[in-house]
Amino acid sequence: MSKLALTSLAVAVLVLTGCSQKSPEVDMTKDTGKMDTKSTVDDGMSALQKLIASLEANSKTIYFDFDKYNIRKDQQANIDANAALFNTQEAKGFSIKVEGNCDEFGTDEYNYALGLKRAKSVKDGLVAKGMVADRITVVSYGESNPACTDHNKACWDKNRRAEFKVLP
Amino acid sequence: MIKKLVVFCLFMVISFASDATVEIVKRMDVLPKIAVQDASNSMVDLNFRRTFFKLIVGDLRVSSHFNVHDEYLQSSYEGGPIENFLSDKKVDMILRFKIEQTLNSMSANVKVINAKTGATTSENSYQLPDKKRYPFLAHKIVIDINAQIGAPSIQWMEQSVVFAKYVEAKKSEIIISDYTLSYQKTMVTGGLNIFPKWANKEQSAFYYTSYNGVEPTIYKLDLRDGSRRSVISGSGMLVCSDVSQDGSKLLLTMAPKDQADIYLYDTRTRKINKITDYSGIDVNGNFIDNDQRIVFISDRLGYPNVFAQGINDKNVEQMVYHGKNNNSASALNNYIVYSSREDKSEFGRNTFNLYLISTKTDYIRQLTATGENLFPRFAKDEDTVMFIKQFQNRSALGIIRLNANKTYHFELKTGKLQSIDW
Repeated sequence: MSKLALTSLAVAVLVLTGCSQKSPEVDMTKDTGKMDTKSTVDDGMSALQKLIASLEANSKTIYFDFDKYNIRKDQQANIDANAALFNTQEAKGFSIKVEGNCDEFGTDEYNYALGLKRAKSVKDGLVAKGMVADRITVVSYGESNPACTDHNKACWDKNRRAEFKVLP
Repeated sequence: MIKKLVVFCLFMVISFASDATVEIVKRMDVLPKIAVQDASNSMVDLNFRRTFFKLIVGDLRVSSHFNVHDEYLQSSYEGGPIENFLSDKKVDMILRFKIEQTLNSMSANVKVINAKTGATTSENSYQLPDKKRYPFLAHKIVIDINAQIGAPSIQWMEQSVVFAKYVEAKKSEIIISDYTLSYQKTMVTGGLNIFPKWANKEQSAFYYTSYNGVEPTIYKLDLRDGSRRSVISGSGMLVCSDVSQDGSKLLLTMAPKDQADIYLYDTRTRKINKITDYSGIDVNGNFIDNDQRIVFISDRLGYPNVFAQGINDKNVEQMVYHGKNNNSASALNNYIVYSSREDKSEFGRNTFNLYLISTKTDYIRQLTATGENLFPRFAKDEDTVMFIKQFQNRSALGIIRLNANKTYHFELKTGKLQSIDW
């Protein structure tokens, strides 16, 4: 057995390099192109920014049922109000981005697609109420943008929603 | 003798487990018992030595090919009559390591000893230029000893994991790690960056989606030179779901007309072809059958489920006839692993389980029993699945060893896992 051990004894020098990884990491907040218009209210805001912030603040969030993307009956009035708001003379020159969001369940592509379908349903609802489709873009943030971070039904209800960003 | 015994026992186990969907409920517990000895110089920090020891012991256990004696033992590297036999421990084998460190690098000498004869059966030396990557060194040592006993490959332990984690609303980071999360290196920060996907087998680059511009954009980050380039932008949502074996083609989920469908993107010609065409949701494309077909998730039956179709064939085949909310899947060869929400109720929080099916049989194997088990991904072999485990507002990487029927969890200390690839 010891003879076997001696004959099988092998000394190998193994170098582990892995994949050389450059640092520092990429910071995506730098040099990533045009950023979304900020809607934060502060003293340095221009009239345009104040108008955008006002429109966003007056828009009504649309809420959805669990795992659904159809517009609920109780949300139709909010769709109507938003269409009227975005079709006012002062808002007509802006584009509207509809952001679809989901509750915390699921961490996959399906959740992002669900958020997109919610945004699309809202867009279709706005178009049905007279908005020009070309003014409206949609995006999904999946579960990445919770309005509420507690873990209960009331909170999940608040997260299944579509919100609006006004773009110059 | 030990090698022959192990090979025989593993052959028995594997023979009965050739179909991974068949769960092994009774197995022979005759794995070789192994002890690990630390023979490092006392100049090396004891805490680091113990950490390294724990990694090796953990790897041996996760391999499922050893019966691990997990007591921390010290010895000289040369060994002696007592150290080479450990008679009181009744072990079959001893793995003895001696690690040394410099400012940036580290090295290890490793002996494998037959505890029945006291003879050294193999000896290896390892050099690691970047000592921060020491978990990979531990994994490599265990991969080698696993190969020495003739056990099925655990090469997957060497694979790097790339994952995205949420750190706050609309903010996430992309990190490269080993499978235990012991090594972590942050690669992308700032804003929302999600769905990282390795670009090639060498893991020298990865794709990811950034939400920081006007539209979601897929970038490719090359780890060799740190360069980053934009691949494609699109409205709505944009995800690189899979990469072909040769790295030349991507399966993208795109929504150019506000409608999520699966597209084939050729990285050489930059041509895009639409594969699926449905007014609902089609997402999560995965190549199968030598990249000629895909499996994907669709709600075309009114609920998310797993389907397949050819790249150039519009005929859609339903792959799963179980569950009413199967929202994520991964495929390898003849196997599909998917997550299924057990209860359509929104209150059933702990209700996502993983299931494994074979395209060749009708059998379904349940892989998890409790909690939120999501985002399953096969390793390079059919025997290992990685997934995301969410529990009590925290996240962990899960590893399922299918033949051994064992699951391990590695907790993420901060943040919430968004997606993984390895």
